[in-house]
Amino acid sequence: MSGNDFIALSPLLLLTGSSVLIMLLIALKLSHRNIQLSSLLLFILAFFSLFYEPDVSPHHIEPLLVVDRFAVFIMGLIIFSGLVVNILSYIYFEEKEEGPKEYYVLLFLCTLGACVLATSKHFISLFLGLEILTVGLYALIAYLKARHHNIEAGIKYLVLAAFSSAFLLFGMALIYLQTGSMEFSIIGRSLHSLPSLPPLFLTGLGMMLVGVGFKLAVVPFHMWTADVYQGAPTPVTSFIATVSKGGVIAVLLRFFIVIDGFRFSPLMLMLMSIAIASMIVGNLLALQQKNVKRILAYSSIAHLGYLLVALIPGSVMSIQAVSFYLAAYFITILTAFGIMTILSTKENDAEDIESYKALFWKHPLLACIFSAALLSLAGIPLTAGFVGKFFILAASLQAGFWMIAFVLVIGSVIGLYYYLRIISKMFSGRGGVPRKEQRSHPVFYLVSVIVLSLLTLFIIWFGVYPSGLIYFVDYFRLNM
Amino acid sequence: MKIHQLTYIAYCLKMDIFFYITAFVTLFSTIMVITRHNPVHALLYLVISLLSLSVIFFLLGAPFVALLEIIIYAGAIMVLFIFVIMLLNLGKETAAQEKAWLKPKIWIGPVILSTILLAELVYLITMAQPPSYTLQTVDSKAVAISLFGPYLIGVELAAMLLMAGVVGTAHIGQQKKTVLHRFLKEEEPS
Repeated sequence: MSGNDFIALSPLLLLTGSSVLIMLLIALKLSHRNIQLSSLLLFILAFFSLFYEPDVSPHHIEPLLVVDRFAVFIMGLIIFSGLVVNILSYIYFEEKEEGPKEYYVLLFLCTLGACVLATSKHFISLFLGLEILTVGLYALIAYLKARHHNIEAGIKYLVLAAFSSAFLLFGMALIYLQTGSMEFSIIGRSLHSLPSLPPLFLTGLGMMLVGVGFKLAVVPFHMWTADVYQGAPTPVTSFIATVSKGGVIAVLLRFFIVIDGFRFSPLMLMLMSIAIASMIVGNLLALQQKNVKRILAYSSIAHLGYLLVALIPGSVMSIQAVSFYLAAYFITILTAFGIMTILSTKENDAEDIESYKALFWKHPLLACIFSAALLSLAGIPLTAGFVGKFFILAASLQAGFWMIAFVLVIGSVIGLYYYLRIISKMFSGRGGVPRKEQRSHPVFYLVSVIVLSLLTLFIIWFGVYPSGLIYFVDYFRLNM
Repeated sequence: MKIHQLTYIAYCLKMDIFFYITAFVTLFSTIMVITRHNPVHALLYLVISLLSLSVIFFLLGAPFVALLEIIIYAGAIMVLFIFVIMLLNLGKETAAQEKAWLKPKIWIGPVILSTILLAELVYLITMAQPPSYTLQTVDSKAVAISLFGPYLIGVELAAMLLMAGVVGTAHIGQQKKTVLHRFLKEEEPS
């Protein structure tokens, strides 16, 4: 490896080093606050190391990794979400019964796994990245091990994730058998001259889609989503909703672009049916839920369906739409779960919809932030979510996919109902005299609220003036 | 020339017969693993299944992987398994419970479904052009060179994977001491 390779890999190296460093700090018996602050610093360091990426894109580190602009963009999103989750974790875990220190080590490792996914161009790095992410998540989901919900969610995730990994590996083996390579570009080259997909390859890719679909929680591989979202600690839930899905979407997009999978109709049919099923089932299942975490879980299924709609045309615009929607979705979902984290108490999380009753009269600022996030998820104009959805619609209509665009619109309309239900709950009733609560960690509470307010500003800013982000997304586009 | 070809075909045929016998053993023992009521019997079948898998690896020209399979899975992990199972002393009650759970009424539906899926899969695989693979032996030196040559980053990533597993297990596994009486409570180190 040359010096340039090290510079290109610096975010990954920093994340790896950070996890080891934090483990050493734990061995020194530092307090939770010190460990949290140092991991925050290390996250910021990793984030800023992205700005020193050599701009000679793409930089291949044979045979496993490639660092191009798209990878840098996705890594930026992933590390940024890791950073926000890290900030929010302090107040959540400080009040809980478990020693929260190993949590930060696992957070770094999961972020590393997702970043490896974003940069991988080989099945081996894909699988290793996915497994680092998943194995870290098993422990993170079951972190508060004294609580039954957590352990149950952890076990469910463990069993299903292991099963889906087996499918993924079997699919990879079949593709390897057909093409004789595990590197995306060589697979693409061996398919180049073929008019249609060989059946063995199609079987393999179908099995890989089972594994990938599980991680993305798209229908019909969505069974775990609601239980795991509900059972996991709230910061971990926001981590699952953003980081683990962003990394997988990135590698899926890269794989499809490199092998030029968009010209094979059976593949597109598979993706389209998954997307349509996710949009419909996700939105319908969310309608009857009483638990905000479960509502967001089912809505995340629908959102991943929207992302697949953006991916299906395979045009330049669809890559931009995926990047834009990912950025908007990350910011929005982090804000929504951030509010839930702040409102959680020592005993239970703020997940029942009744606990949001009259929130506006008690905490006007938090209620406004939460409303903005929910409106952005619903895709109301003047929010980032609206522009993202608009972008997706434009991309799919430009390529003539009327059917899925129509389903997307229907799905959004259904989705509006349950988002507005939460919002109306927040504004209903009278709070009476707002009583002064004694916050146990005023400084961290303030920092978290400031971070969430900034994220809300981003949501509205990208909704009103999307051109900045669009330029950014175009600059960091995946080269076809 | 002709004789040489004939011997080659005979060789291939022999390898094929070996492969099918081994594959049969693997499948049969694996089926026995999941149908036994007694866990110790199931584990013994699992050992056989792993052994026959390693024979398949050997036939495919990967003696190093075959040995690893025996040393790691059949050797270390299975022995641990059997010890733990024997220590747990699972006896007749578990067997009866398992028997009660495994009624044909329960498993016949999934079995039919998965048989259909399997038939589809086999059909798809046989439909394809038979893949031509060249048999070439992958010994330990070749494995080492590729691991610490081009796939060095993969090895490092595997190390981080293990670290995630170890840290996670250490957290989930650690237990606070349960205090039975307040007089027995030790002073908390502050």
